[in-house]
Amino acid sequence: MKLKTILMAGAMAIAASGASAACSYENEVPLKSLSAGFEAWKAVTDAMAECGNFSASLDQEFREKQPEAFAADPSLYQIGGVANETMIPLLNAGTIRPLDDLVAKYGQDLLPNQLIKVDGKVMAIAMMVNAQHLMYRNDVLADLGIEEPATYDDVLAAAAKIKEAGVMEYPIGGTFKTGWNLAQEFVNMYMGEGGTFIGEGNMPSINNEKGVKALETMKAMTEFMDPEYLVSDSTYVQQQFQQGKIAMANLWASRAAAMNDEAESQVVGKVTMASAPMGSERPSTTIWWDGIVLASNMSDEEADAAFRLVMEGIDGDMVSANNDTAVWLNAAYKPGDLAAGAAASAENGAGAYPASAAMGVLHSALGNGLADYLTGAKDAQTALADIEADYITAAKEAGLISN
Amino acid sequence: MSSRALRQPLSLRLTSNIFLAFWCLVAAFPIVWIAIMSVKSPVDAYDSNALNVIFGPATLATGNGLSVLDIIVGIAVIWGAAMVVTKVLPAKIKEYTSPGQEWFGWVVGVLVALIAFLLVFFVVLPAVLNVLNPLFGPLGRDVLGMTTEHYKTVWVDRGFSNNFKNSLIVTAGVVTVSLTVGTLAGYGLARSGSTLAFWILLIALIFRALPHSVLVAGYLPVFINSAEWLAPILGENAPTLYGKPFAVIAVLVAINQPFTIWMLRSFFQNIPAELDEAARVDGCNHFQAFRRVIMPVMWPGVITTGLFSFLLAYNDFLVTSLLLDAQNQTMVPAIAGMFNRETTTTDQVVAVAAAVSIIAPLFFLVMIFQRQIVSGLTAGAVKG
Amino acid sequence: MNFRTFAAFVGPSVFMMLLFIAFPLVSVFKQSFYITQPVYETVEVETCTPGFLTQTCVIEQKSQPKLDEHGEVITQTEYVGLQSYRNVLEPERAWRAITEGNWSVLSTINFWKALRFTLTFTLITLPLVIGFGLGIAVLINNAARSIRGPVIFISLLPFIITPVIGALSINWLFRGDGILTALLEWWLNRDIALFAQAWTIEILMMFYRVWHVAPFAAVVFYAGLQTVNQDSLESAVIDGATRWQRMKYIVIPHLMPLIIFVSMIHLMDAYRVFEEIVGFSSQAYVISLQWLTFDFLVPDQAGNRSISRASASAMLTMIGIVLLLILPLRRTWRDHKGGH
Repeated sequence: MKLKTILMAGAMAIAASGASAACSYENEVPLKSLSAGFEAWKAVTDAMAECGNFSASLDQEFREKQPEAFAADPSLYQIGGVANETMIPLLNAGTIRPLDDLVAKYGQDLLPNQLIKVDGKVMAIAMMVNAQHLMYRNDVLADLGIEEPATYDDVLAAAAKIKEAGVMEYPIGGTFKTGWNLAQEFVNMYMGEGGTFIGEGNMPSINNEKGVKALETMKAMTEFMDPEYLVSDSTYVQQQFQQGKIAMANLWASRAAAMNDEAESQVVGKVTMASAPMGSERPSTTIWWDGIVLASNMSDEEADAAFRLVMEGIDGDMVSANNDTAVWLNAAYKPGDLAAGAAASAENGAGAYPASAAMGVLHSALGNGLADYLTGAKDAQTALADIEADYITAAKEAGLISN
Repeated sequence: MSSRALRQPLSLRLTSNIFLAFWCLVAAFPIVWIAIMSVKSPVDAYDSNALNVIFGPATLATGNGLSVLDIIVGIAVIWGAAMVVTKVLPAKIKEYTSPGQEWFGWVVGVLVALIAFLLVFFVVLPAVLNVLNPLFGPLGRDVLGMTTEHYKTVWVDRGFSNNFKNSLIVTAGVVTVSLTVGTLAGYGLARSGSTLAFWILLIALIFRALPHSVLVAGYLPVFINSAEWLAPILGENAPTLYGKPFAVIAVLVAINQPFTIWMLRSFFQNIPAELDEAARVDGCNHFQAFRRVIMPVMWPGVITTGLFSFLLAYNDFLVTSLLLDAQNQTMVPAIAGMFNRETTTTDQVVAVAAAVSIIAPLFFLVMIFQRQIVSGLTAGAVKG
Repeated sequence: MNFRTFAAFVGPSVFMMLLFIAFPLVSVFKQSFYITQPVYETVEVETCTPGFLTQTCVIEQKSQPKLDEHGEVITQTEYVGLQSYRNVLEPERAWRAITEGNWSVLSTINFWKALRFTLTFTLITLPLVIGFGLGIAVLINNAARSIRGPVIFISLLPFIITPVIGALSINWLFRGDGILTALLEWWLNRDIALFAQAWTIEILMMFYRVWHVAPFAAVVFYAGLQTVNQDSLESAVIDGATRWQRMKYIVIPHLMPLIIFVSMIHLMDAYRVFEEIVGFSSQAYVISLQWLTFDFLVPDQAGNRSISRASASAMLTMIGIVLLLILPLRRTWRDHKGGH
């Protein structure tokens, strides 16, 4: 409420925007981008804005707008931000362009790992990866003499021990919010069991022993979770961690930095990042990437300018300035302790999220259908059978399964 | 005396007032509470102990706080402002404007009052109190944790003023167009006993009952491709409707029409038809009769209806979030954008501050127009 | 008023409604009988995605839509009759559940689950809103004139608050160890999880809706109370009528048109309950009809949306609301005819 601080803040804001033109060149072509709105995108688009003539839309509704906006001729946005799954509709509709020429021209600093190739052509440039992995309270586990949990059996055993010792009532946290989050948890578990989601002719193949095993593990975990687990998203789990209410969770790598945020967290330095727990075959997690695509419906000059701008946005300077914001794919990125969990999961053989049009439908069906099992309204087989039936109806409507 | 016959025993009056006080508590609590949360540090705001949220020890520990003196003076200023707005302002506006142009006086009056309040409360007051606090000893010591940093984050760092401007454009557009179109239609419907009029009303009612999400999703592809399909009519200059405030205004006006015409029709029905018939006998046609006779007496109903239009446009999320791009985003979708994939506790408190910022103008609006709402309703804007 | 003048007055309004509501509605109606889908082909594609350090490439059979020579997706539209309605209603499953008398199975089928909740929600909140609205209006009318203004102002707050924010603030207050849950826990001295079972969420959602809408009803009724004929009230007192009798025989009949007005508005709004579902994240336990439509309509991550089922479900929602409104509307018809 002090007048001086308000004035100071205003003056500093002006000074900051005036002095931040750290771009190596002046962008002459007006460009626009549409992407999701989380921190990493903010960092990247801010870096791009320094070159001038660029405006970014960080939009929560980007999933719905992107396919339509890119299909317009000329495209409403030249640059798009996508992830594994959100690239599919653009790719299928042919509204994003191959980038091979531009990579050859401007992409000297790109790692081979960053090039998303479909059918041999570079269709997107990945800038970061993200995965769910185990985070646990090293102090709590050490006090009780528990080793780092490697499988879900270990996690459950540790949880039972913590609860028994009376340290915490609900030792496990989980992103079990009905819908996308809950389905993602199932995808992680089922991947860990080595299952495949979609079979021949896009028919579903989840109603099997592996599916039941995945569901049973999830149910076993809920015994040790706050009873409101069906509304808990990653922000909520993160807060539970920060307030010291839970000891273990399979949480997104991009959330790791918040554990050590002095302003919010009461557990600074007490959370260790470890590999996602192993299922029967591989770690129970999926690797996601976020990256950039360019629209087909624009001139080659615009594409040239847009790609150059993108390279400026995801260059080493930006990554160094925002090192802990994400697990960046960049030579300048210094993976610290916070990235250890994602790295360990990948080392143990975690798979990429099996993105496809059919998987999108199945993911939604899972999100809507799994709660009935966890609340006890259906048994595991019935729940999986109903999800498959639901998927088949939707997939037929989408044309993925012929009638 | 009429009131003596209807006088109530003390016990009844007491119970009645106790219940009323309880209702006021229930009505105001959530809003007061988020206002309190918005001025605390994240740790305090989400504390499960109510006293910690109110007194904000963690916020106080960072050196942000209010003294007893600050609180007393602050409450006095708010009370004074409320008095000025509810008592002095209406009188002044009556005094300085001619009867036909009262609405203009209101707009100017409200803006002046608002700016003056913000100026006094956030600029003059802190400056004065900074000088006074050290002089008052224990009364001047900080006791209540409070920080305005979240508001600073919202308005300065996140550029919320731009969203505010967009909200104003959309809301003003919707209210103006909606009332113009709706007043004409409401009058026409009220003065026509034809079966067609009934069916228009009936279908409008069904339109009002429609789930909006169905309609809105249909607009998106059409709006995005409008440059292509409008090109044969408008040629080179065909606009892309997606992202344009005027397109959103048109959609919101249409969605709001059913309710507007129903309310205004009921209102006009209560204006005796003899009034405009007399004017028509004097040689006016329907439009002239409407302008000369009806317009001067229709304001209570129009203001009430306008307030509902205002609320709809100002509070809309579904249409604005889908059809506006980031540059023209209004406040309500912008707040939803603060809950993204990487939301932290700090972001949440910032969102709380944004929520309070959104409610504040509504607060002033209702404070000022509250009498008009009741009198408009009493005058029969709602007679079923 | 002749037809041309009438048309001139209502023309702009009708035009806007036709353009932005009726026209989309007709296309929704049409879409509910057709299915439009891209033509897929199965191809073998090698896809490379980033691992943490190295790239992983997989060769898979993938379905991708065929493109025509302009690079547009080839789609086919097929008339399917009532198939989409069947997909929404799942009549066979529902019928089997009913004949077996197995209500818990019926309540796991989305449409019926949504219908059950939507109807419960609408019909329970309706009397509550009217009752509380009337109660608050009478209380305000009873209060001293000097405090009426501020009280009306405070009463209006829940009504004007932005719905999204209202639902969010309820979340902040009740979720996890939110302040009001903590208060309840302290009062009842036991652990409470309000978001962990269906019935508590339903009560919270109804409470929120009543809190949000009752002020509107109260202000409308309060306005109505100002026009109650004082003479008839006084003569009732002289005739020895009790307070309750005066209320029942004079005040309520006077307010009847307003009660019907508020009921109609409330029926329409409550029947398309949606914000509460999203705000309280109650999908796991209860869903509503509009939420179901919305869920069909939003694209999943891969961009698929179920337009046909969404259209069918929207049409079913509309039929429901028309059925609910028939009773109050018959009165309007009489008034309309009687008024001229």
